[in-house]
Amino acid sequence: DPERYKFRTMRQSLSDAADVLDLQIETIAKIVQTHYDLSPSDFGDPSVQAQSEIHAVGRIVPDSTTTEEFLNMDSLALETSRMAGVGRRTRLDFTDIDEISLFCGQIVAIRGKNADGDSFKVNEVLPLPYPNSPVSTLDELQKCSAALEGKPLKTLVTNGPYFPCNSFDLHFLEQFTERVNSEIKPHVLIMFGPFIDVTNPMIAKGAIPHFPHLKHQPNTLDEVFTKVMVPILKKIRQDIQVILIPSTRDAISKHASYPQDSYNRKYLQLPKNFKCFVNPATFQLNEVFFGCSNVDTYKDMKEMTKGGNTSMRNRFDRVSEHILQQRRFYPVFPGGIKKKLLSTSNDGKKVYEHISGADLEVPYLGLTEFVGNFTPDIIIIPSEMHHFARVGQNVIMINPGRFIGHSGKPGTYAEISITGPDLENGNLTKVEGPEPTFLHNVWKRARVDIVTI
Amino acid sequence: GNGINGLEPLESTISDTERFKDVANFRLSCPNCSCSFDFGGIIASSDYTVCPNGLQCRKCDHLFTPLQISCQLERCIRSHISLYYAGWIQCDDPTCGDATRQVSVFGKLCLNNGCTGVRYKYSDKMLYNQLLYFDSLFDCEKNKKLELKPLRHIDDAHSSPEKLSEASIKVLTEQNRRLLEINRSVVQKYLSDCGRRYVDMGRIFDFMQ
Ligand SMILES: [Zn+2]
Ligand SMILES: [Zn+2]
Ligand SMILES: [Zn+2]
Repeated sequence: DPERYKFRTMRQSLSDAADVLDLQIETIAKIVQTHYDLSPSDFGDPSVQAQSEIHAVGRIVPDSTTTEEFLNMDSLALETSRMAGVGRRTRLDFTDIDEISLFCGQIVAIRGKNADGDSFKVNEVLPLPYPNSPVSTLDELQKCSAALEGKPLKTLVTNGPYFPCNSFDLHFLEQFTERVNSEIKPHVLIMFGPFIDVTNPMIAKGAIPHFPHLKHQPNTLDEVFTKVMVPILKKIRQDIQVILIPSTRDAISKHASYPQDSYNRKYLQLPKNFKCFVNPATFQLNEVFFGCSNVDTYKDMKEMTKGGNTSMRNRFDRVSEHILQQRRFYPVFPGGIKKKLLSTSNDGKKVYEHISGADLEVPYLGLTEFVGNFTPDIIIIPSEMHHFARVGQNVIMINPGRFIGHSGKPGTYAEISITGPDLENGNLTKVEGPEPTFLHNVWKRARVDIVTI
Repeated sequence: GNGINGLEPLESTISDTERFKDVANFRLSCPNCSCSFDFGGIIASSDYTVCPNGLQCRKCDHLFTPLQISCQLERCIRSHISLYYAGWIQCDDPTCGDATRQVSVFGKLCLNNGCTGVRYKYSDKMLYNQLLYFDSLFDCEKNKKLELKPLRHIDDAHSSPEKLSEASIKVLTEQNRRLLEINRSVVQKYLSDCGRRYVDMGRIFDFMQ
C-alpha cells in the first residue's frame, strides 16, 4: 500500500525504533516454532545459566557497543526479545559449529547451553525456512498468456547514476533510449535512481556546467532534472511502460530515508507512461512478481563466515539466501554508512566526514519486509558491486550494475526475457488444493542478460 | 516520547539566537578558484560580496549562478539528513562508553549497565533547527531586519571588514530577491517533509484549544 510510505521524515523516536527491532525477533521466533514444530517450553532465556539445552531466537549483535568494525566469530552476541530474555545480550560461542555465515542484524535460531552464565555455547544453528513462492490460478495464467500473443515478456532494468561524476554528459542515456525504442522494444523498462546523485562531486564543488542548449538555465537540481533529463526520458515510446524506483541519494526526492516514498510524477513533469513506485516495491508484471529494493544490501552485508564449504561459495549467493531467510530486502542493522577520512591527528584520532548511508527509517522497517510473506519470483537489488544475475532457492536475483561506471565508462543494464506461462510444456508446477494453482517457475522460463550500454 | 513537559517553552517562541546557537554553518565552495567559505546571508564578509546581480567570490571575482549555490545548499541539507539517519546514539551518563549505533530492544536503555538513558546524538530537534537556520539565511525579511545569526564572534581575529549599512542591505535584498527565494524553496522542500515541524505547529494549536 503506497499510502503507508507517505509518512513525514526526520522524526524518528528511539522507542518506536525499539518496538520494531523487538517485533522482528518475535516474528521470526513464531515462524521457527511452527516450522520445527517446537513448543513454547523448548525456548529459554540464553542469558541465564542453565544445565539443560534450550532453543533461542535473537539478533546477531557485536559483544561490545563500541566495536562495529573488524568483528569476528569470537566477538558476537545474541540479543533476545523483551519477552524471551528481557532484551539482554549474551556472548556466543561457536566453537562447535563447523559451517556458518553471520552478519549484524541477522535474526537466528539456535540450540545450545549457557553452562557458566558467561556465554551461550551453540550446538546447532537451525536454518530459517524459506518463504513460499507465489502461485496463480489456471484462469489468471491463461489471461497472461493471451496478453503476450506468444511473445516473451521483455523487461529492461537500469540503475543510476546516468551521467559521470566529472561531466554532465548524457549522450549514453540518449543513445540508450534510441536503442530501447528502435531495437530492444521491451514491454517494461525499470529505472532505479539516483537520477541526480546528491553525492556527485560536481555538486559538492558547485561545479555544474552551463547548459548551452537551454535558453533559461536551471536554478535548482530539480530543474536540472526537468529541463535536462526529462526531455531525454520523454523520447521513450509511449507504449513502453517505464517504472521509476527512487534512491535516497537522489536530489529529486525530498523523502531521504528507506523505506522511501515514490517520486512525484507530476512535479517532475514526467509523461503518463511513467509510473513512480515506492522503495522497496513489490509488483506484478503479468503473473511474475518483482521485488525491487534500492539500498545496497550486497555491499553493506559484512559477513563473518566459518568453514571451507561456506567460504568457498559465491558471496552473492550467500547474501541472497540471507535476504530470503530474513524475509526483508535490507536485513543489515545498523545500516551501512559511507564516510570520508578528513584527517588523522598525532594520537591516531581520525576525523571523518559523513557522506551517505542506508538512511534507515527504523520505525518503518516493517514496510521493507516481503509482502504477504512470500518471496517474489525476481528480486532486483542494484549494487556498486560487480553486476550479476543468479538463481538461488528458485528465485532470480539481479544486480544490473551501474549505468555509468565509476570511471565514467559505459556501464551495464539487465535484459530479462520470460516466455509466457505455457500449461502444456510442463514448466509450471501444479499445487493441489480446492482450486488448483500453479507455481510460476520463472527461473525455468527466464533468460537474463547483463548488457553493456 | 515527544519530551513534552510544561517547563519547556513553546519552540516557536524561542529566539533565533537561542535556537541556532549549535547549528553548523553553510559552507560554500567557489567553482572557479576552489576556495571555500561560510555563507551567512547578506552581510559584510572578507570572503564574498553580495552585489546587485548576485553572490561574488572575493578571491577571484567569480559571480555564482543560482544553481551553483542552490546545488551546494541541497547537498549540504542532504548530508545533514543522512547523518541524522546514521542513528548515532549517546548515553546521558558522561562516564559511559563512546557513541554507538546499536539500539537495544528497550530503546532508551543503555547497553552498558546502570545508566539513566540514551538518546540520538543528532536529534530531530537539532536537524529541524539546522534546516530553520538554512532557511533564515535566505529569508528576505530576516536579512533586511538584520536578524541573522552572526557568522563569527565579535572578538574573532578574522573579523569581517566594514559593516554594511541597513539601507544597503535593504536594497541588496530586493535586488537579490529571486536568488534568495530560489534557495529558500530548496530548504522548504525538506522542511515540508520534516515531522518535527508539525509537532511545533501542533503544539501551538494544543495551546489554543
Ligand atoms: Zn573564486
Ligand atoms: Zn573562491
Ligand atoms: Zn550508558
